[in-house]
This record gives sequence, structure tokens and C-alpha cells, in this order.
Amino acid sequence: MSKGNEEVLSVPRKRSLSLDSWAVLLAFALAALVRAGVFKHIPW
Amino acid sequence: MADAVVLPQVQPVRPVAQFFRLIPGVLLLAAVGYAGKLLEQNVGKYAKNHHWTFPNIEYVLWAILIGLAISNTVGIPQIFRAGVATYEFWLKAGIVLLGSRFLLGDVLKLGVPSLALVLIEILFAIAFMTLLGRVFNLKPKLTTLLAVGSAVCGVSAIIATKGAIDADDEDSSFAIAAILALGALSLFTFPLIGHALHLTDHAYGVWSGLAVDNTAEAAAAGALYSDAAGKLAVLTKTTRNALIGFVVLAYAIYWASKGQAQAVGNKASFLWQKFPKFVLGFLLISLLATLAVFNKEQIGALANLSRWAFLLTFAGVGLRTNFRELARQGLRPFAVGAIGEVLIAVFTLGLVYGAQRVFHW
Repeated sequence: MSKGNEEVLSVPRKRSLSLDSWAVLLAFALAALVRAGVFKHIPW
Repeated sequence: MADAVVLPQVQPVRPVAQFFRLIPGVLLLAAVGYAGKLLEQNVGKYAKNHHWTFPNIEYVLWAILIGLAISNTVGIPQIFRAGVATYEFWLKAGIVLLGSRFLLGDVLKLGVPSLALVLIEILFAIAFMTLLGRVFNLKPKLTTLLAVGSAVCGVSAIIATKGAIDADDEDSSFAIAAILALGALSLFTFPLIGHALHLTDHAYGVWSGLAVDNTAEAAAAGALYSDAAGKLAVLTKTTRNALIGFVVLAYAIYWASKGQAQAVGNKASFLWQKFPKFVLGFLLISLLATLAVFNKEQIGALANLSRWAFLLTFAGVGLRTNFRELARQGLRPFAVGAIGEVLIAVFTLGLVYGAQRVFHW
């Protein structure tokens, strides 16, 4: 693809979190809830 | 044919609508995973009550088999697809939560020997896959993708490298198909080989973490052997994942020097962008566990949350594997991948045997 096309096709990127970062945030949110005693026992 | 390029119209999707679109597939993951758990509990009991000889099949295998059966018979209806694709998200959340079961000292104790083995494995896998790609006359960028996929971390590494070296979509789908097909095969072959060779949980876990490419399959192959092997497979595979940025950077610089990819600007920012953040999450939770931030019951609860996250992942591994679609991608990349994977598996098994003697696993 030529540079000219790239300029035409480029769309301003929105800064968003990666899948990895969301997974880390979810894990830490769950860990915080367990630490705070909201989830006392998780059955398996 | 008209020479104008017609771009597909991108429909903006609202985050809330996107969230609701995931629910059916996530529920399907949960249903398949839970069915696997129920089958593990009840099939063995039923067989015992009826005096049948039936092998004890773990929930991991049941969940994968149910997923495979659905995917390869009725298929996955469109409504479930977006949610089923979240299995990697659950895998990463599960790995971070698993960090609570390792004290930081254990991570270092287990991780340092793993790191040495991982470095040797990466060098061998890249050299060997590059050689095989040349022998089979594969396109050089397809060979790069297969080398990175088999050396580091499967699909994520292929996707990261594709962008960095400007590879074709076709090449990356060939490479992904080969890695996924071989990952599916490893789920059934690795535990059999491990049992046949009487490998300890430790040796088997390190071996699956070194030789199975995709993180989900590596975790599943480990868990199919034992809980302890599963933990070590995830730890070893996470060590491999941590090196993804360096390998992709090296290939990006190589292809840019040939004028076939964009030059890499800020190398530190490139490494950070490619670095899997869940590895940091895993280490941070492990540090918190080491500092006794969580008590014993809380660590038990976090470990069970991690198991539930893995359950969704294992269901997803089966549901997203469609053998007909994989076969459609062509034989040559698969042949290169298969020969390479077998040799990497044999080589890493040799490494593990050697390490077993040195570290007394």
C-alpha cells in the first residue's frame, strides 16, 4: 500500500486498553473483593 | 474488474452493545466447562457402580471434547462467536490469579531454570523452523511467522509479528492454522507420552510449557496430567511469553533492514507495547501473596477463581477448533509445522531430562 493511500485510509486511533490489561484489571478487582471479604468462599 | 477499492463500512459499536454481544458465548463457555466438570464427577461414579472399567477422565478433557464435538458437528452459531472468542481473556485473568499460588521465591526458584531452558528452546525452534521453511520452499515471511509461533507463544506471537513485519493476512492465517491444529494434537499426545515415560509432574509440566505453543493448549496439556503439572506448565509458558517482545523486535529489525517492513522507532516503547501485561499481573499477585496480603482462605478462594477462569478457557479451546477449517489452509505449512513441532518436542524432552538430573526435579 502506498504512503498516499495510507494517509487517506488512516483513522485516528482511540487509546484503549489491550485485552491483556483488561484481564489483569479483572483479576485484581476480583483479588480486591476477596481481600475485602466480599467473596469469602469460592466453591470448586 | 473495477480498479476502485471498496472499503467495508465500519459500523461503530457501542461498548454496552459490545458487552451484551459477548454474553451468549460466555454462557456457552460456562455451560460446556460446567458440563465437563459434572461429567468428571458422575461418569466415574456411574462406571464404578456398574462395575465397568472406565478411565478417570478429568474435567479438562471432557470440556475440550464437548467443545470439539459442538464445533465439528453443529458448529458455533453466529450469536455465540464473539463470546466464545473471549476464552483468551479468561486464560489471562486465570494466569494472573494463579500467581497467588506461587510465592515470589518459588517463582524465582522455578522460573530461573525455566528461563534458561526457554532461551535454548527459542533459539533451537527459530533455527530449525527457518531451516525447514527453506527446505520446503515456504515464503520467507510465512517461515518467520511459523518460527515465532513455535518458538514463543503461538497465536499471540504470530499476530504480534504479523503487524511488525508487514506479513500477508494469508500467511498469518496459514501459520495460525498450523499452530492451532498441532496444539489440538498435543492435547491428546503429550499426556500419553508423559505417562508412558513416567515423567514426574514437575518434568512433565516444564516440558508442556516449553513444547506446546499456544498458552491455552499448554495450560490444558499440563492440567490433563495433574494439577501440579498444570501450574508448572503455566509458569514455564508464561516465561516463554515474557520474551515475545524481544523475538518480535529482532524480526522487525531484520525485515526492516531488508526494506520489507517499517523501521522500528523507539525500541523500548516497542518492547513495552508487545510485552504481555498479564505476566506483570502474575508477578504482582505473587508478590502480594509473598507479603501475606492474603490469608490462607483468601488464597484458596483466588485459586478457585483461577480454576473457574481456566474452565472457560478449556471449553473455548474445544469450541474454537474446527478441523475442517484448519484442513482448508493447505498442507505445506502444516507439514513444516508438524515436523518442526515433533522435533522441538523431542529436543525439549531431552532438555527436561537433562535439567531433571541437574536440578533433581
